[in-house]
Amino acid sequence: MPQDAAHAPETLLDVRNLSVDFRTPRGRVKALRDVSFPIRRNRIVGIVGESGSGKSTVLWALLGLLAKNADVMGGEVRFGDRDLLHASEAQLRATRGEEISVVFQDPMTSQIPVLTYGRQMLDILYRRPNVSATEKRHMAVEMLRKVGIPDPDRRIDQYPHHFSGGMRQRAGIAMALLTGPQLLLADEPTTALDVTMEAQIIHLLQDLQKELDATIVVVSHNLGLIAELCDDVVVMYAGEVIEAGDVREIFHNAQHPYTRALLECDPARINDVSRKLPVIPGDIPDLSKALSGCIYAPRCQRVLPVCRETLPPDVARGEMSLARCHLLDGPHRDSSWPPPLDVMTVGQGEGTAAKPARAQRDAPLLDISDLSVQFEVVGPIQARLKGLTQRHVDAVLDVSLSVAPGETVGLVGESGSGKTTLGRCVLNLLPSQAGHVRFEGEDIRNMPEGRFKPLRRDMAMMFQDPVGSLSPRKSVRALITEPFQIHGIAGVDLDAEAERLAEMVRLPKHFLSRYPHELSGGQARRVGVARALALNPKLIIADEPTAGLDVSVQGEILNLMADLQAEHGLGYLIITHNLPVVRHIADRLAIMYLGRIVEEGPTDEVFARPVHPYTRALVEGVPQPDPDRRRVHVSISGEVPSLLNRPKGCDFAGRCPVAQDRCRTEKPPHLTMTDGRRHACHFPLG
Amino acid sequence: MLYYLTKRLGLSALVIGLVVLVLFSLLYFIPGDPATIALGPRATEEAIARYAEKMHLDEPVWRQFLIYIGNALTGDLGLDVFSDRPVTAIILERIGFTLSLVGVGMGWAVLLGIPLGCLAAVRPNSWLDRVTGILSVGTIAVPSFLVSIWALLIFAVHLRWLPAIGAGEPGQVGDQLIHLILPAFAIGLSWVGYLARMVRASMLEVMGENYIRSARAFGLRPRRVIFGYALRVAILPTITLIGMGFGGMISSTVFAEIIFARPGLGKLIFDAVMARNFPIVQGAVLVATGLYVLVVLFSDTLIAWFDPRVRESL
Ligand SMILES: Nc1ncnc2c1ncn2[C@@H]1O[C@H](COP(=O)(O)OP(=O)(O)OP(=O)(O)O)[C@@H](O)[C@H]1O
Ligand code: SF4
Ligand code: SF4
Ligand SMILES: [Mg+2]
Repeated sequence: MPQDAAHAPETLLDVRNLSVDFRTPRGRVKALRDVSFPIRRNRIVGIVGESGSGKSTVLWALLGLLAKNADVMGGEVRFGDRDLLHASEAQLRATRGEEISVVFQDPMTSQIPVLTYGRQMLDILYRRPNVSATEKRHMAVEMLRKVGIPDPDRRIDQYPHHFSGGMRQRAGIAMALLTGPQLLLADEPTTALDVTMEAQIIHLLQDLQKELDATIVVVSHNLGLIAELCDDVVVMYAGEVIEAGDVREIFHNAQHPYTRALLECDPARINDVSRKLPVIPGDIPDLSKALSGCIYAPRCQRVLPVCRETLPPDVARGEMSLARCHLLDGPHRDSSWPPPLDVMTVGQGEGTAAKPARAQRDAPLLDISDLSVQFEVVGPIQARLKGLTQRHVDAVLDVSLSVAPGETVGLVGESGSGKTTLGRCVLNLLPSQAGHVRFEGEDIRNMPEGRFKPLRRDMAMMFQDPVGSLSPRKSVRALITEPFQIHGIAGVDLDAEAERLAEMVRLPKHFLSRYPHELSGGQARRVGVARALALNPKLIIADEPTAGLDVSVQGEILNLMADLQAEHGLGYLIITHNLPVVRHIADRLAIMYLGRIVEEGPTDEVFARPVHPYTRALVEGVPQPDPDRRRVHVSISGEVPSLLNRPKGCDFAGRCPVAQDRCRTEKPPHLTMTDGRRHACHFPLG
Repeated sequence: MLYYLTKRLGLSALVIGLVVLVLFSLLYFIPGDPATIALGPRATEEAIARYAEKMHLDEPVWRQFLIYIGNALTGDLGLDVFSDRPVTAIILERIGFTLSLVGVGMGWAVLLGIPLGCLAAVRPNSWLDRVTGILSVGTIAVPSFLVSIWALLIFAVHLRWLPAIGAGEPGQVGDQLIHLILPAFAIGLSWVGYLARMVRASMLEVMGENYIRSARAFGLRPRRVIFGYALRVAILPTITLIGMGFGGMISSTVFAEIIFARPGLGKLIFDAVMARNFPIVQGAVLVATGLYVLVVLFSDTLIAWFDPRVRESL
């Protein structure tokens, strides 16, 4: 292959035919099968795929740090003149941190809590005997400065818990770049961060790549991030690379049916605001079973009989482009595939598609007014001894919000903005200090549990972590019918109810005898929905209903919730930080910042014309799954201040691009505009 | 920090106060004349009278208690019934034997148990791990007085490698050390197993943490990863365990000191109880409690020193 020789010097690392198995009690899991792709020098390569597709396994294989139960079944990883798969432990250790370095997914758990950043960074430089400790420290300080840590001379002596999530990730990047590695691997570098922080980290990585001439591999399930950050993209599905290519080719001219479906399912991409989202039916295949033919065949919208038997060919197009599908080459080639971008190739699942008529706003189901929730942060004696005057923080401050029957209200904010506290307070799980919470006209705030209990049937909560909130020892049947027992409701046929509810959330009947650990993320979420629906509630409060779900499954859950709403006239209060999702499902949005609602209004208007600068930053903060719509600048910098030192004036003043003197002294009140939208800003955007 | 210290010192004082109260009220709950009980049946009339006067037995009980506390605070723990010597002086003579025994006993257990636990965790299911596991269970199950007796019979009586009884010639460090070996072995043995198990369990947990994977991904030496990173976190629960276990250690010294006839605090308490020499019992138990409280305080401080998160929440 002459072409191969031509671009060989440009390829920094080449993964060839990599196969990895995991030994598990269920048998061998064939986690990677015949994975090949090049990493080209000075490029940012994105590896994208849904959970369990093997993205992380590829990264760890490159470093020789696979789990103990992993077996490399074949292949090579060429890095210069070495094969990293067959290198000795000493050689690998020399490569790690020096030539190939890593930024980790969760900066909260991947940095040791008991050592300062200075110590950790010195440790990384241990292979430089000729550099004095003072010089090493200087290098570390400079690197921290470069990644945007303010006052690095002082902060280098602090511990990870002194840093906020975003700062920690910056420090994580600084540690990885300290030795000037040729290749930087980043596993979901922003997944644990808020939207505004994510935008900042994306830009930091981009700038550093240019400045340091580095090569970066980013693993992510976030298509927007990949489109914004990467030059090359590798798409993985169930342990195989099914498509690879230049970022524009992948996003504008995807060849593989799975890539196409994945792009279509991303709520951030869908412009038409309908309640029904596209979904890819079915689940990722069980990799411990025997596999044959195309790995995507069971879910493919274009499957042919041949697909189930014969492995599709790798069809190459350009330098690194390839796609693995029968439609692209050979006897089954279909020249009409792929269809133009505006043609949908996946359906929207079963159920009614109608968006329910917008609810009447005059009789709210839930009506919150001027609600405040305080938390005590220090005890009285401790405050005295430490000389603190302020013992409480306002986690929720002056919040007014209402939800009508049949209406979906999205409550959006970054972590720590008080969303979950507000939800818990409505459900009377937390005491509040001021204001009113009315449910169907009755004030339920701080009601004694005895009186509140009957109301719990009308209000249900869907929890954030579906598997964690389900008792592991109970079968799905017992879990679904648990609400009947909690509320001591006699005289119902529990088995019949379980079947009714399972059918409602479209969970096949044989799942009723399973246990939570035998469910996939989407299935566990369905059980959560079924539990919430058990007693025919009128209001459902859903805390991040799709967090951690893959886009293809996320649509199913949201569609299900929309159908149930249309049928039963449910009111939803959806708590989330995922703007693309609420844009599709919410009638109205409330944006929270530091415990206050800064803007509230109909969803489409808030998106089209944000009034509050923070709302605008959030809306612009969502990376678009389109490489031609990259943002050139980050709209806001800095991060959410701590509740402990709430600013005197506007809470957002420290980060607001249009702040003026008045903002720093005077808290903006809530104002209602002529069109009924409300905001809290002295200088609303026109 | 100030808050924490105030709280801890207050709590320690409370613990010691309670122990004194219990010791003190024992005398008054047992029927009969407190002086006779305190001094035992063999005390002379004269001693009883002196005791009654010294202890202000004609005063109300709560005043007597306060007087005892006040005296104890100034270091006066009363007089030995038989020799009339100050209890404080007697305890000071003996305490060194106990401290050295506990120190060496715990010391060798720590020096052996922690590395064993570490190695076992680094190579789970290796032969070293298995042997450590079996030995741990074995040594934890055997009470220390049995170990003392067996050690005495085997090494001193049968093999005659080591001296059987006593604490060695006063002033001769070498001789004293040789006399320490068997009792320290006896009281430390179960701790080796205990510590190895504890460290293994927490090391295994910590080795699975993300930050250990990070350290390995940065190419740090395995030695640095294990001792500089993993052990630094895994040691924290062990320090608490050692601090708390100190109480148990003191009670095992009682057996060891009796069996090996070491003139330490434990033996002192034992002899005093047998002779119903109550001022000594009271004083010695009080000192032992004080020691225990100090050690726990020290281990908590050590944790704060190792863990910045704890340090700052103080
Ligand atoms: N240590 C392990 N033992 C057994 N199976 C494993 C192990 N690690 C990963 N797997 C399996 O290998 C497959 C690939 O996992 P991997 O973590 O690489 O996926 P991923 O694409 O990174 O997913 P995510 O987006 O959830 O991080 C999955 O089926 C997973 O269950
Ligand atoms: S090979 Fe067949 S099943 Fe696989 S993606 Fe192509 S069309 Fe679909
Ligand atoms: S009040 Fe001022 S600081 Fe606050 S958001 Fe409006 S313009 Fe910005
Ligand atoms: Mg992963």
